[in-house]
Amino acid sequence: MEQLELFLQTLIAGFMLGGLYALIGLGMALVMGVMRVINLAHGDFMMIAMYIAYWLFTLFDIDPYLSVFIAAPALFLFGLAIQKYLLTPVMKVESILPHNLVILTVGLAMVFSNLATVFFTGDYRSTPVSYASNAWYLTDFWSESPIELSLSMPWTLSFVLAVVITIGLWIFLTKTDMGKSIRATSQDVDAALLMGVNVNRVRMMTFGIGMILVAAAGCLFIPIYYLYPALGRQFTNVGFVITVIGGMGSTNGAVIGGLILGIFESMTATYIGMGWAPAGRFAIFVAALVFLPGGIASLIRKGRLGK
Amino acid sequence: MKRLSFFVTIIFVVSLFSVTAYAQEVLKLGIPLPLTGTNAKFGEIEKKSYEIAMQEINAKGGVKGKKIVLEFEDSQGKPEVARSIVERLIDVKKQPIVFGEYSSSCSKAISAVAEERKVSYLVVTGATDDITQQKYKYVFRLNPTNAYYATGLMSFLNTVVKPKTIAILYESSDFGTSGAEDMVHQAKKAGIKVLVKEQYEKGAVDFRPILSKVKAAKPDVIYMVSYVMDAALLMRQIKELRIDSKLYAGGAAGFAIPEFIQNAKEASELVMTATLWSPQIAYPGAREFAEKYKKLYKDYPSYHGAEAYSALYVVKDALTRAKSWKPDDIRAAMKSTNMMTAFGPVKFQDKEGYTNQNFMDTLVMQVIKGKHETIWPQKYASAQYVYPIPKWRERK
Repeated sequence: MEQLELFLQTLIAGFMLGGLYALIGLGMALVMGVMRVINLAHGDFMMIAMYIAYWLFTLFDIDPYLSVFIAAPALFLFGLAIQKYLLTPVMKVESILPHNLVILTVGLAMVFSNLATVFFTGDYRSTPVSYASNAWYLTDFWSESPIELSLSMPWTLSFVLAVVITIGLWIFLTKTDMGKSIRATSQDVDAALLMGVNVNRVRMMTFGIGMILVAAAGCLFIPIYYLYPALGRQFTNVGFVITVIGGMGSTNGAVIGGLILGIFESMTATYIGMGWAPAGRFAIFVAALVFLPGGIASLIRKGRLGK
Repeated sequence: MKRLSFFVTIIFVVSLFSVTAYAQEVLKLGIPLPLTGTNAKFGEIEKKSYEIAMQEINAKGGVKGKKIVLEFEDSQGKPEVARSIVERLIDVKKQPIVFGEYSSSCSKAISAVAEERKVSYLVVTGATDDITQQKYKYVFRLNPTNAYYATGLMSFLNTVVKPKTIAILYESSDFGTSGAEDMVHQAKKAGIKVLVKEQYEKGAVDFRPILSKVKAAKPDVIYMVSYVMDAALLMRQIKELRIDSKLYAGGAAGFAIPEFIQNAKEASELVMTATLWSPQIAYPGAREFAEKYKKLYKDYPSYHGAEAYSALYVVKDALTRAKSWKPDDIRAAMKSTNMMTAFGPVKFQDKEGYTNQNFMDTLVMQVIKGKHETIWPQKYASAQYVYPIPKWRERK
């Protein structure tokens, strides 16, 4: 019974963590798909959103979940500006290095985290919301339950919101014109151009939407985590691993990849040791590259073809 | 031409004179500290405390008539940066004695430089045991080592709680690992069985998996060695999972500063922590220092502050007693230190495999009604301890 409880509790934790990871991975995969560039400043954009949420909470007492509505538009505009004045000009430059955009994002990441250190110091910060350690318990609903499971209130809230945002994105991508253009550009840039898609506008929008996703992820993370200027790298890694597992640029793959990573990390922590979680992440990353170079997206495609 | 060279000579002589005149009045001391980066919080506490000590010493005439001027150098908590700062202090600025730095890894890096250059180094907060186990002649340590952090807590466990089992969670850093190893050692001595011993990588988001494992093991005591944010996350998730142990205890560091209570909120209630010092303790000058700090910065200092504050007094004492400010005379003066500070008695001894190590009593604090209170040893207690601890389900 105890083993079952341990397993279920780990699974719940992994599922929730995975849902949040998926949101980070989604933004990265979307940008990757359309722009063919890995945005290595992804985590640092998330850090910026978290600082927005932190200051709104500290100065104006605004709940971090509500700051999604402020941080997301702010980062959307910021993303458009970055795309227009930094990424697009660099894209046009013919250079020996094919990946100068990636290098640009690495530079951006450094600038952001160092600026944050200058402006906000290296202090650790958090938003101690009043419901931070509230939880729901299985025994409260079913008192004879042989096992005790708990659901943390802020974690559940973050997870549910992440799911809602993911569904929203799915509707946007499949039902709207803009979404369809984004998918078209992601599948084949030249064909999209021929069909009259304004690829430059699509790129800008995509980057902006990627920023919305990462801003939302930041606001969902801060009530359950904490914040410091160098936090970006850690989440960039997470996003990168998910993008690779999911299959470069696939949004469906990113969602499944995020869940796999979250559950895998939690299982590693319980059954092997928490110190091994980062090593596990790396192992799954290499395994995906070696055994499934096309990522989960390639599996999904195969399934479709088989029908 | 002649005239020009004359002027140049005059200017040169004047500038030389002014430099020496300036040097006679002040004693510049560079201190490496993590002012940015993940340990910046502690660096800041220490910086403020050094400044208070500096003002007090200067108000009483300084060191041998020289006013102390402190220059803080940001090491970002990185050993390689700390090392290069100290190399510059010794080689270029010819500083007669070095002291400071926060983390164990940085202190260790500096120790190696100091020993090699034969300049005394006073470790102020780095707690890993092996810093003073290298038989370094020039390295002195003010704070008790990690192995002694928990002695106060162990005496509380053995007299009041009498646990049979323990779970140990720790950060995979120098400080965390050595703290956990020492606890294993102490537990073995006291006949307590270690059920779970798990390390985690700093920056972990979710502790629930290992905490579920701890819950399944049902230990009497959960002992954690963590910095502040991880400490708060751990206690929040322990409350959430309703892990009912007889005692939750932290090994100083993150558990012993007010930010722990601010971040963990009600999950921090009744948590105990080993600590080296508390603002209410009856050492001469301790209260005055704590009140002065609170007046200036709105909050009581942690033990790190008291260590830094006292460190400057120890340095001043040694520099005053030293026959000259040559490295070996300063070393001799440091070695014969025997004084009382706000942090407690200071005397550098060679025993139990340590060299130039200060030994002292450690304390236990408990969070009672949202405040850290000293509860053990009872002669220093500021409040009666709360034990047994109610189950999470029965708490409001």
